[in-house]
Amino acid sequence: MVWARQLWLCLQTLFRRGHVAQRLDDEIQFHLEQQIAENMAAGMNREEARHAAMRTFGNPTFLKEETRDTWGWTWLEQFVGDIRYGSRMLRRSPGFTAVAVVTLALGIGANTVIFSAVYAALMLPIPFKDVDRLVFVMKNNPPRGWIRNNISPTEVISWREESGAFEDLAAFSGASCVVTGSGEPEEDPCEVASSNLFPVLGVRPFLGRTFSAEEDKANAPKAAILSYGFWRRHFGADEGVIGRAIVVNGLVHTIAGVMPASFSHLYATPFGALPEMWVSGIALPRQDSDNDCWGVGRLKPGISVKQAEAQMDVVSARIEQESSDLHGWRAQLLSFRENISGDTLPALLVLMGAVILVLLIACANMANLLLARGATRAGEFATRTALGASRSRMVAQLMTESLMLSLTGGLLGVLLATWGCKGMAALAPKYLLNSAPGLANGAADARVLAFSLAIVLTTTFLFGLAPALQSSSSELTESLKETGRGGAQTRSSRHFRNALVVCQIALAVILLAGAGLMVRTLSTLSRVDSGFSARNVLTMGVPLSGEQYKQPQTVVDFWQRVIAGVKALPGVESASVSRDLPVDGWAGQFFTTAENPNPPAGQVPDANYLVAGPDYFQTLQIPLKRGRSFNELDTQTSERVVIVNEELARKYWPGEDPLGKQLRPGSPGSDRPWLTVVGVATNVRSQGPELPFQAEIYVPLEQFPWMLRPQNLLVRTSNGIRPESVARAVVDQVHLVDAGQPAVDVKTMETVAAEPLMQQRMVMALLVSFAGLALGLSTLGVYSVVFYAVARRTKEMGIRMALGAQPKSLLRLIIGTGLRPVVVGIVAGMVGALMLTRLMTDLLFGVKPNDPTTFVVVSVLLVVTSVLACYLPARRASKVDPMVALRYE
Amino acid sequence: MLVVDNHGMGKPNDMVQGTLDLLILKTISAEPRHGWAIAKRIQQISGEVLQVQQGSLYPALHRLEQRAWIKAKWKETETGRQAKFYSLTAAGRAQLEKEAENWSRLSAAINLVVETT
Repeated sequence: MVWARQLWLCLQTLFRRGHVAQRLDDEIQFHLEQQIAENMAAGMNREEARHAAMRTFGNPTFLKEETRDTWGWTWLEQFVGDIRYGSRMLRRSPGFTAVAVVTLALGIGANTVIFSAVYAALMLPIPFKDVDRLVFVMKNNPPRGWIRNNISPTEVISWREESGAFEDLAAFSGASCVVTGSGEPEEDPCEVASSNLFPVLGVRPFLGRTFSAEEDKANAPKAAILSYGFWRRHFGADEGVIGRAIVVNGLVHTIAGVMPASFSHLYATPFGALPEMWVSGIALPRQDSDNDCWGVGRLKPGISVKQAEAQMDVVSARIEQESSDLHGWRAQLLSFRENISGDTLPALLVLMGAVILVLLIACANMANLLLARGATRAGEFATRTALGASRSRMVAQLMTESLMLSLTGGLLGVLLATWGCKGMAALAPKYLLNSAPGLANGAADARVLAFSLAIVLTTTFLFGLAPALQSSSSELTESLKETGRGGAQTRSSRHFRNALVVCQIALAVILLAGAGLMVRTLSTLSRVDSGFSARNVLTMGVPLSGEQYKQPQTVVDFWQRVIAGVKALPGVESASVSRDLPVDGWAGQFFTTAENPNPPAGQVPDANYLVAGPDYFQTLQIPLKRGRSFNELDTQTSERVVIVNEELARKYWPGEDPLGKQLRPGSPGSDRPWLTVVGVATNVRSQGPELPFQAEIYVPLEQFPWMLRPQNLLVRTSNGIRPESVARAVVDQVHLVDAGQPAVDVKTMETVAAEPLMQQRMVMALLVSFAGLALGLSTLGVYSVVFYAVARRTKEMGIRMALGAQPKSLLRLIIGTGLRPVVVGIVAGMVGALMLTRLMTDLLFGVKPNDPTTFVVVSVLLVVTSVLACYLPARRASKVDPMVALRYE
Repeated sequence: MLVVDNHGMGKPNDMVQGTLDLLILKTISAEPRHGWAIAKRIQQISGEVLQVQQGSLYPALHRLEQRAWIKAKWKETETGRQAKFYSLTAAGRAQLEKEAENWSRLSAAINLVVETT
């Protein structure tokens, strides 16, 4: 039972220290008394006996200390002592403590925010079986430059059966499910999924079953699988829903299963919406070459993405011979991880780099503050050294103080981070939130907290160690002599502090340059003429569902009545309907012109198809260059008409008058009717401001109502009337015509137009705040160095003034000295920025990573703030009365 | 003369510390003793050759106690005072045997070297 006895003693010495120490005193007291008694017995008087006993015993205090050391808790005792002492020291200088804690809190908080985003997007485990073998299947068309395209059923089946790359390949297509029959109609994003989707992912339903192969057939009875959230919302988590009927898009579906709460959409493109439901019946006819699916595949073990693509391309090369629609398309696979993080990766990495720079600046500032403080405490350290404190004990003491500061700062930082994460989630583009649903949770995750703690410990060493070594090494006699004169500033400590300023300024230059480039990018993007006016326009989606709207004429009638009703509302100037909105949506399709009805495969023209109601151009204020707009006379029985954009006219009828020309939707030889061009619209930046114009074709709603899905209502209000203010009335008009149709995504066109810029806007907002932080901290750094140097040189200033120096020349002297490290820092920072800003090229638009304007502005900004930071202490010094200065100290 | 003396600065080196441990273990192997008695006993037995600085016994005693080689008990002395008596544990007895054997081997070896010259 040796260990039990040891443990017992260990606990005794820890928890009953007072008692054990008292017993040791008693023990030694007894020893001494025995010895004294013996000595007296030998004939000494009491005093002599006591002295002799002490001599033979040794120094009791020291020996007691050494005995206590054997108990093994000395380190803890010292640590507790250091904490007590440290907290007393920190309380005694609340200003210093507050500045230090806030500096660290901002640095650590910023890191926690960005790290939790990086964690959510890049590191969160993906909850699927053998996720490394799962790929998202798309295709690209290298000759045309098209990437990340949907795939067709032909490809799904051919790749699955012939490529030999897949264990299994599932398909789904994004859809919109309108659920009716129980209360308010509701539209939810959903997916038409093949029965093998869930087995491929390796996910079991929470309740019920997944689809059977039989249910994939188009004419089989329809089944639906609900998301956990939908099931809770609509059925109050009733486990008896399995087998019940639900009306989806006007068709009766049997509820087959409910997916678990943890089941995530992470298999889908981040641009897709989070599905609330999966419905059966994807069919996938082998001959269908329309691109309306996405694929999810499980690769055979040992097959890499590259190998799989190569094997699939062999199949593609064969099937493109059979269908011209498939010409030029090749497989494009994305691993799940890449699919989730791909688009945000550059932005997140830039931000992560930025916050690390901020933290380094904060550390440099802390080191600076601690050095200055160490110098004023030189007397204290010297006294302790003289009393026998070892250097390691003093370093431990100072490091404990630093640790207390960084722990407090870290705690505050983590609290700030929960706010920061909410802010970031508010700024984040929708797809980032989709792929990183944990983003808004902030530091709630244990691993994020562990990261923050690691940051705290690292920073403690980064900023604390050098000042601790420096302060504890000060020459004993020198310091004791200097005490009362504000401490010593040795040459090496001055150099060290200047080096810190150089680093801070250099890092700040890099951050400011990054932020500046983003500001320039955003301002360039927002100045791009989009070709339409988003001001005063309200949009909403009305996904018509139900049997009656399978009749095209019913759809037309519905919209004519809604638009007439909306136009009659006060404050509404015009209203229209369209399939896609500019900036939001793309429906590429082939067409041929009458001049070239049979282009060779691979050169078939394509354009974005927009189905638009009358007044579409007027509502979005897209000017027509030639011809006319759509009107009420364009009906089912009149001539089929089309409006093209300038880009299409330029590309296919260069130098000719496009009016009266004819084109035909679909692949060459399509049996659709020819359409006559009646108008030419101005180019619109329909894919966002940073992308080039595309050929676009507008067709009138009344002639092509079956193409109108989903449907967006557009309402322009009169000047001075906010579009949001009519939203309620517009929705009422929709319900007046058909109360069974939901109106979803009610938002202003300005919001829609801003969406493609959200990632850049988020990066800009965060970089600007980080750069602001960096500027503030480094200015503080310059200020504190100059302030400290001036305080040290008060006497010298006095002498100079007594000898006739003008305040102005003193100012110049001090500012000049203070600015020297700043200038070095700016130059170093420029070099660093030139190397680092290249990494953000992907995020920039209309500005080069080495944009001279940005760099000049950044330097000027830093020089101005630094001059200010030097000027304040310098002015104080130059105002000093020489007599006072000379008597100072 | 072997002086087991720790002058109050720095730790005794391993050899000296090991020797002091051996002396203590041996001294209390017959009967429980308190610190002063141990010091006296070492001095007496060694014919005043081993001058143990009395105070340096205590760190050693506490270290041995931490290792569970010796145990302590507060008892009354013949003079009626409370004192802390140390005695060997089973582990301590084993340790004593080991160290005593080491010591005889070492001293025999040293003797051999010294006398052969």
